[in-house]
Amino acid sequence: MVVAGVIASAIGIVLALAIEWFPTVAATQTKKISTLYDVLLIASVPIFVLVVTVVVAAVIRFRMRPGQEDQDGPPIHGNTRLEVIWTVLPALLILGLCTYSYIVLEDIEKAPAAAQELRIGVHGEQFAWTFTYPEEVTGGEELTTTELVLPVDRSVRFSITTADVIHDFWVPDFAMKLDAVPGLTTHYRVTPTRLGTYPVVCAELCGLGHSVMRSRVRVVEQAEFERWLAEQSTPAVEEGAGPDEQVAAGKQIFASEGCGGCHTLADAGSGGQIGPNLDDVLKGVDEAKIREDIVDPDAQIAAGYGAGIMPSTYGQTLSDSELDALVAYLKEATK
Amino acid sequence: MSFRAPGFPRAGLGILVGVGLAYAIVCSVRALYGWDPVVDGDAVLQVALIAAPLGFLIGLGAFDYWFRWAIGAPTLPEDHSGHGARSWKDYFRVNTDHKVIGVQYMVTSFVFLGIGGMFAMLVRAELAQPGMQFVDPNAFNGLFSVHASVLIFLFIIPVFAGIANYVLPLMIGAPDMAFPRLNALSFWLLPVAGVMMLLSFLAPGGAFATGWTAYAPLSTEAPIGQVFFTIGVQFAGASSIATALNFLVTIVTMRAPGMSFFRMPLLVWANFATSLLVVIATPFVAASQFFVLLDRALGFNFFNAAKGGDVLMYQHVFWFYSHPAVYIMMLPGFGIISEIIAVKARKPIFGYRMMAFSLLAIVVLGFTVWAHHMFVSGMQEWIRVPMMITTAVIAVPTGIKIFSWLATLWRGVLHLDTPMLFALGFLTMFTLGGISGVTLAMVPFDIHVSDTYYIVAHIHYVLFGGSLFTIFAGVYYWFPKITGRMYDERLGRWHFWTTFVAFNCTFAPMHLIGIEGMPRRVADYAETFAGWNLFISIASFVVGLSTLIFVYNMVTSWRAGVRAPANPWRAMTLEWQVSSPPPIFNFDTIPTVVGGPYEYGVPGAVHGVFKDAEVKTTATPAGAAPAGD
Amino acid sequence: MEAAALPIHDHHGPPPANQSARVQPQVLGMLLFIISEVMVFGAFFTAYFFIRVVTGDSWPGEGDHLPKAIAGVNTAILLSSSLTMHWTVEATIKGNRAGMKAGIVTTFLLGVTFLFIQINEYVHVGFAPSDSAQASVFYGLTGLHGAHVFVGLLLLLFVLIRVFRGHFSPQAHRGLEVPGIYWHFVDVMWVIVYVTVYLL
Repeated sequence: MVVAGVIASAIGIVLALAIEWFPTVAATQTKKISTLYDVLLIASVPIFVLVVTVVVAAVIRFRMRPGQEDQDGPPIHGNTRLEVIWTVLPALLILGLCTYSYIVLEDIEKAPAAAQELRIGVHGEQFAWTFTYPEEVTGGEELTTTELVLPVDRSVRFSITTADVIHDFWVPDFAMKLDAVPGLTTHYRVTPTRLGTYPVVCAELCGLGHSVMRSRVRVVEQAEFERWLAEQSTPAVEEGAGPDEQVAAGKQIFASEGCGGCHTLADAGSGGQIGPNLDDVLKGVDEAKIREDIVDPDAQIAAGYGAGIMPSTYGQTLSDSELDALVAYLKEATK
Repeated sequence: MSFRAPGFPRAGLGILVGVGLAYAIVCSVRALYGWDPVVDGDAVLQVALIAAPLGFLIGLGAFDYWFRWAIGAPTLPEDHSGHGARSWKDYFRVNTDHKVIGVQYMVTSFVFLGIGGMFAMLVRAELAQPGMQFVDPNAFNGLFSVHASVLIFLFIIPVFAGIANYVLPLMIGAPDMAFPRLNALSFWLLPVAGVMMLLSFLAPGGAFATGWTAYAPLSTEAPIGQVFFTIGVQFAGASSIATALNFLVTIVTMRAPGMSFFRMPLLVWANFATSLLVVIATPFVAASQFFVLLDRALGFNFFNAAKGGDVLMYQHVFWFYSHPAVYIMMLPGFGIISEIIAVKARKPIFGYRMMAFSLLAIVVLGFTVWAHHMFVSGMQEWIRVPMMITTAVIAVPTGIKIFSWLATLWRGVLHLDTPMLFALGFLTMFTLGGISGVTLAMVPFDIHVSDTYYIVAHIHYVLFGGSLFTIFAGVYYWFPKITGRMYDERLGRWHFWTTFVAFNCTFAPMHLIGIEGMPRRVADYAETFAGWNLFISIASFVVGLSTLIFVYNMVTSWRAGVRAPANPWRAMTLEWQVSSPPPIFNFDTIPTVVGGPYEYGVPGAVHGVFKDAEVKTTATPAGAAPAGD
Repeated sequence: MEAAALPIHDHHGPPPANQSARVQPQVLGMLLFIISEVMVFGAFFTAYFFIRVVTGDSWPGEGDHLPKAIAGVNTAILLSSSLTMHWTVEATIKGNRAGMKAGIVTTFLLGVTFLFIQINEYVHVGFAPSDSAQASVFYGLTGLHGAHVFVGLLLLLFVLIRVFRGHFSPQAHRGLEVPGIYWHFVDVMWVIVYVTVYLL
């Protein structure tokens, strides 16, 4: 039985480690946490295997055979040495794991040696994320976006806030998360190590649009990050663009702002059900009204939908020209 | 049909009176203060949710005795008409017999298991594919919220209370519980709470949709359906506290002569420990929901950050109950498993005293770990490491129990029938849930998997693989005692194996998709998780179907099973020393306990002896309070 | 459904339960209930702790004043009702029916006075629970206590009725003693509320 148990444990550990548990290892934090998980697996599998092995062995060896119906087992009431062992050994194992976890925790949260840390604001509201790059990052005016762009290999410290209820800022590939709490600003840091685009997820139930409260984070080279920052300060839609260009730009904005997560719009191929179906409610509505619906969504709410659900910040996060383009597109698409 | 005698007609009238009173109170207060409008539907509904259930309970007769007692009128002498059940109708009235109440509890909570399970099926149907197919996001959030609330507050917690209600007084040699009328009231509070939670689907704005955790400020700003949870929990909580208090007093004051604490069966120990937890912790969940109600209904600012409220305070108060609640939902199961393993392995429990002490250790430690639910809540960072250590340390007393059960199995004569299969299934599955619990205690890993499907997997391994398996084991084990008939062994095994396999197929993959990045409580998810979710949904339907085998077995065996002997398992504890089902007052004379409860294999050992039965008639009829009481 | 079904002739009462502890069930039950009540207050004090200590806001809310003196007098009233309650029980044990009646009536009236002054304080205190979190905690804690006083008064009322209907004797007075324990708890709780909310 002991041999069987050891072999089963070994196989179990190999199998458990062979599974690709974590998403992409896209940050130093992910690496350290996934290593911790590997250690936890190596410690856990033998315990589980031990219990299963004893149960199975007992079933095989000691099951009632015909003729034993009236027999009892030997009256063993306990064994102090055994009981001490199975109290002390698990306790030691537990303390070891706690110590290691404590070290990992210190490690993933420690501030970078150089003060070269990027500071970015993360703001959650039902049901969208916005990201704020302060002046010291942009070198010019403060910048607010709906997509998070980060330079690779540089520690970032997020300051997380919320406008309404509790949200939770989580990038699974970074393996870090923290709640956005009304009345507080919370912080954590990551150091992205891998180029690519990853999902940003709200992990705390925040209402009916919880499952569409998504954004994305793009990790890019430092040079590209600076280029992107510079681009953001120039308008997306050039002044005096023709109507067709405006509509095309508006369609892009509709997609990049994640409008389709909540709204159905046939032209954009979106099927969200949190908010009103735009194909229906915007049909024949004039530009001024569409604009008001975006900037001040609670001014007039479509029948059957609640107040305070659509973010009221698009007036701030979108520039005037972007708004114009979005309105032009919506007008065109629902004609 | 009489509206004067206690019963359902008068209870219906009570509901109407309650609603009418609520309407009158709200409107007159609003008129007095000159608020506009005078008739405010939301306000009336909230008051009615409190008044109507009270009307129902008064109408049903739960308070009749106390009303007479309060005004000093002669209390009705107990003619035992409130005792026992002679037809099915006796289960539908205020009955003071602990055995009837036990059955009422169990049947009611299994009905809620059916309903809560149906909600799970609907949730899994929606999640079978990405995108929205069957329900809208609001209904989805309502479904999983009601699923969790109903199964926690109206299935797992009360079904254990039901099992213990039936067997605990028998086990300690008591004729009934210490407070039979309070016991009856405890039961009738339950359907009230359950029906209220289910009715929330009819509320404008839909059912409460903030999860069973109802975090503020989402819950303080939610539509009126939320209040059905807020107030429903108060009724369920009051029921728990009253029952726990009853158990504690019964265990302390009504044990048979010779039954010292260390001669009590471990089920009694387990319920003693659980009841301590309930009495101390449950007031916190009641208070957390008071806060929500005050904020929502009366404009208090406990959780309004703009006016100085503290949002995290909700979570501290809530988890100070809800973590011990996990043990409230597990310790009675430990007791059941100890009974079954000793009897079915034909051996004394290995390390009986450590089994009892480890229960108490879990009770004490259980109060020191609540903030491990809050590692990513944004609370003060220094709290995390101490909570990590206390949380992980709970694995030690739990481990003691697991290893002691394993040692009890060793060299026994194992009777591998249905209760034992569920007990062994529990041993392995609960170990898995316990291990994933230890991994969750580790702060860095928890940061990644908080609020993901890993949590969903963990809680279901603990509550389904853990608690529900022990409940099934216990129901099969005591079925002959309760009904006087044997269940169908073949169907029982089918039930175990289908449930065991489908359960693992449902919940094991959730560990993986959780770590991979699928958050919980989402109506829609990324395409990458589609394959596993379809698999999980299909497996979950098999879990649902396997439960039908159980229901069929229970119903047909109860109606027409083979007659059960008094002690089909050759068990030593006192409940098996009386007829199946037991006599109306449990014992003709109270037995005397002369030894431990699990002395299997000790030649000539007995747990309790019955002196010659002489029929005694008590001088004063039971229940007629003397004038000074 | 024939669980626990029995032949009809079996009509004797239950065998008397073994009394396995010296404490009386009703007294133990009341003590456990009080533990549970202490925890309800504990949860409200947690709210108090978070809003006053963790958040670190001023106490009471800015510009608000708590009538310490009046509440102090009220404290004295409630505490003296504890004394009269004790006196009632003593008188009962000695078989002094007149003392018992006087004691229970005094206790009841002192309790009513306390509640009346408390409500009067709400009217004149000058802030509402919706004004600030501190105000919410103030009303929460004092209101919770007020609700307990109300329940206590209800129990005392029952006792009072029974006293005047000739119940209780030196030998049998548990129905008077147990509500008395509850009443003492309500009074002690008030001292804690008064010290933490008004004085500190």
